[in-house]
Amino acid sequence: MMTRRDLMKAIAAAPLAADLARAERSTAAPVSVAKCDSYDGDLTGMLSTMFDQLGGLGRLVKNKTVTIKVNLTGSPALKFQGKPLGLTHYTHPKMAAAMAYLLERSGARRVRFVESAWATGGPLEEYLLDAGWNVRLLFGAAKTVEFENTNALGNGKRYVRLKVPGGGQIFPAFDLNHSYEDTDVFMSMAKLKNHATCGVTLSMKNCFGITPASIYGDDAGMEGPNENPTKGRGNVCHFGKRGPSKSAVQELDANSNRDSGYRMPRIVSDLASMRPIDIALIDGLETMAGGEGPWIRGVRTVKPGVLIAGTNAVNTDTVATAVMGYDPRADRGTAPFTMCDNTLKLAEALGVGSADLKKIEVRGVPVKDAVFRFNANSPA
Amino acid sequence: MAQTPINCLLLERANWSADFAKSATARGIVTLGVVHPGPDAIDQARKPTTLGMSGVVLEGDFDPKVRAALADSKILTVELPSRANMRFDDANRPVIGSYQGLWPGIQVEENGATKSAPSGAPWIDTNTGFLRFVRSYTAKPVWIANQPPAKTVIMVNRYLQSIGDAAIAGAHWVIALDDDFSRRLLSRQPQALADWKRIATTLSYYESHNDWKSMTPHGQLALVEDVGSGALLSGGILDMIAVKHTPVQPVPNPKLSDAEMKNAKMAVDVDPSSLTPPQKDVLRNFTRAGGTLLSAPPGWTFPMPQNGEITLGKDDFKKLDEIWKEVNGMMGRTNLGARLFNVSSMLSNLVGTPDGKRLALHLVNYTDFPVESITAHVLGNYTHARLYAPGAEPKDLPVYKVEEGTGVDIDKVDVVATVVLE
Repeated sequence: MMTRRDLMKAIAAAPLAADLARAERSTAAPVSVAKCDSYDGDLTGMLSTMFDQLGGLGRLVKNKTVTIKVNLTGSPALKFQGKPLGLTHYTHPKMAAAMAYLLERSGARRVRFVESAWATGGPLEEYLLDAGWNVRLLFGAAKTVEFENTNALGNGKRYVRLKVPGGGQIFPAFDLNHSYEDTDVFMSMAKLKNHATCGVTLSMKNCFGITPASIYGDDAGMEGPNENPTKGRGNVCHFGKRGPSKSAVQELDANSNRDSGYRMPRIVSDLASMRPIDIALIDGLETMAGGEGPWIRGVRTVKPGVLIAGTNAVNTDTVATAVMGYDPRADRGTAPFTMCDNTLKLAEALGVGSADLKKIEVRGVPVKDAVFRFNANSPA
Repeated sequence: MAQTPINCLLLERANWSADFAKSATARGIVTLGVVHPGPDAIDQARKPTTLGMSGVVLEGDFDPKVRAALADSKILTVELPSRANMRFDDANRPVIGSYQGLWPGIQVEENGATKSAPSGAPWIDTNTGFLRFVRSYTAKPVWIANQPPAKTVIMVNRYLQSIGDAAIAGAHWVIALDDDFSRRLLSRQPQALADWKRIATTLSYYESHNDWKSMTPHGQLALVEDVGSGALLSGGILDMIAVKHTPVQPVPNPKLSDAEMKNAKMAVDVDPSSLTPPQKDVLRNFTRAGGTLLSAPPGWTFPMPQNGEITLGKDDFKKLDEIWKEVNGMMGRTNLGARLFNVSSMLSNLVGTPDGKRLALHLVNYTDFPVESITAHVLGNYTHARLYAPGAEPKDLPVYKVEEGTGVDIDKVDVVATVVLE
């Protein structure tokens, strides 16, 4: 006879078993790792070699619209020690230009750069200019280059609603700028960094920025979107202090854990499941360690001199986490997931991809030869 | 000093000397004896000319009797009082200025983080807002004679920034070296000599472009303010707008006229209650002609500088934040003369000839690193742009059309530079 306790155990175990089954099925695509120590070198050649190691870029992008989510987190006015943003916590403009050129060469029909620019709904081109990008040169990198600030409606006529497969962990669906649906190929161009809330910010965490502040921002409209957002997204997503605009789907459980270390890894893994990343490119040439931006106390600039690319975001982020000197399967309480749940394992449980380094074929430079320990206190 | 444009020395009492004055005069250098407030100030002030010096500088706030006595004596007198005691209407003084100034630079908080302004940009300590107001009030030369901070290691760039901070407003910073630099320079240490050469080059740069000084603020935003509404403070409304690189034309209340407002499309009136009926008519005409006026509600004014404080008090920042929201809401992304990009650690000043056919866009970088990839979108069609920087050959910059007029890209600015558009 089943006791009440047995029943509870069975109920609790059921989703776990399902998660494990999904994880078992999680794919493991090859990941390319390359050493590269300068943005002034032949980035196009380097990227070309890496994508050749992954089976060629042409098969992924020929005659297609490619949307590139860059990482321009925080205000461009906030520079670390006055250094160019691309050398610390922003996507480097030369990396963006090289990628656009390579996509053009590989037959892409259109290249669209997107980002939810911090605290503004203005044109992305102007935000990029403020970040020190030469936008005119970038326009020339490929035949059709577009830019869209996805922090609000942008050039779209309506927001698109994408549902999280399986129902979601925090939100069951997200309302996004049209760019995340109107594309054939979605690429996350991330920076290799630590993250104060999620431990690491790589290709998946970069895509937290696809959520528009017009709906998920601190000054999002209560009823509908605020098309002139001027703040970040801490209150809605990180801390759950308020809901998104009522026009969007609300949280599954308003009484759930409000800890950002619980919420953000779940939101990020849900987003990766909902809007799959077709190409993940992580720039670790020059970056920062200890946090995702200069507003984090104790950050420092580092030069890991590494590039990581893959066609599965979880696989790619797993390799990147290992390159940073961490165990990608570490549990909460162990660096880098000291104060948070492990986004990689959550995404793996959702079936997005494997976070098991042993299952991932690394092409190019072996992980052991590319390791750069981000934790300054770790043994060399 | 032989290879510098410095032509005037302010000498403290201990350095007053007939021989020195004679030698300086022979080199075409004016010497002024610095006198500080005290019971024997009048006697002190009469001494320098007896030693062959050219005149005196009254540094500080003096009893009016001292000024009156010196006026009677016809001794060349430069007054550098506190900001609150500057006499804007005294036509007899050759120079207007103050000894009170901020040491320019990006403000860093105790934890090493950069302090942010309400606009989100790094907070830059600057005298430019104050100096631009003074310049708009008077055609006289404007001096600011603040000292470098004591017991601080000061890199040469900070001196260059101080020179630029005053010069982009058309004013002069009275060069004052910290004790360590002075000691190293006098003992002719190579690094100190090299640093001094850079200072001299930057001074020469601004002195050799005197035409820039005659240019006036070029922009479509007017800021109507006065000494009683906070214009003498640093870090006030003008600085807040300027840190976002919006070209702004300060208009002191007494100068408010239809002519002053003719190029403005937007205006902020900081203290409507302080305007006379004719001045109110000017703003009425302005709005009737289609101008947008933001009339400040009561409480937008800041006090006169007092008790040695020349910046806003802690309680004033919230007020400034509210003001910023209103001003930013009015301006939006409108190009009011120029929009600059990737300049968060810089200050700029756009000036031009009265017909607007020639503009000078002054830039000062307040970080220790060069700023790269700067873009400017300037209202109007200009066909030539040239970049000037101290010690560098002028460089032609390609111009291109943008929605608002003319675009120009600047590869790099070390500390100061100027783009001239024609």
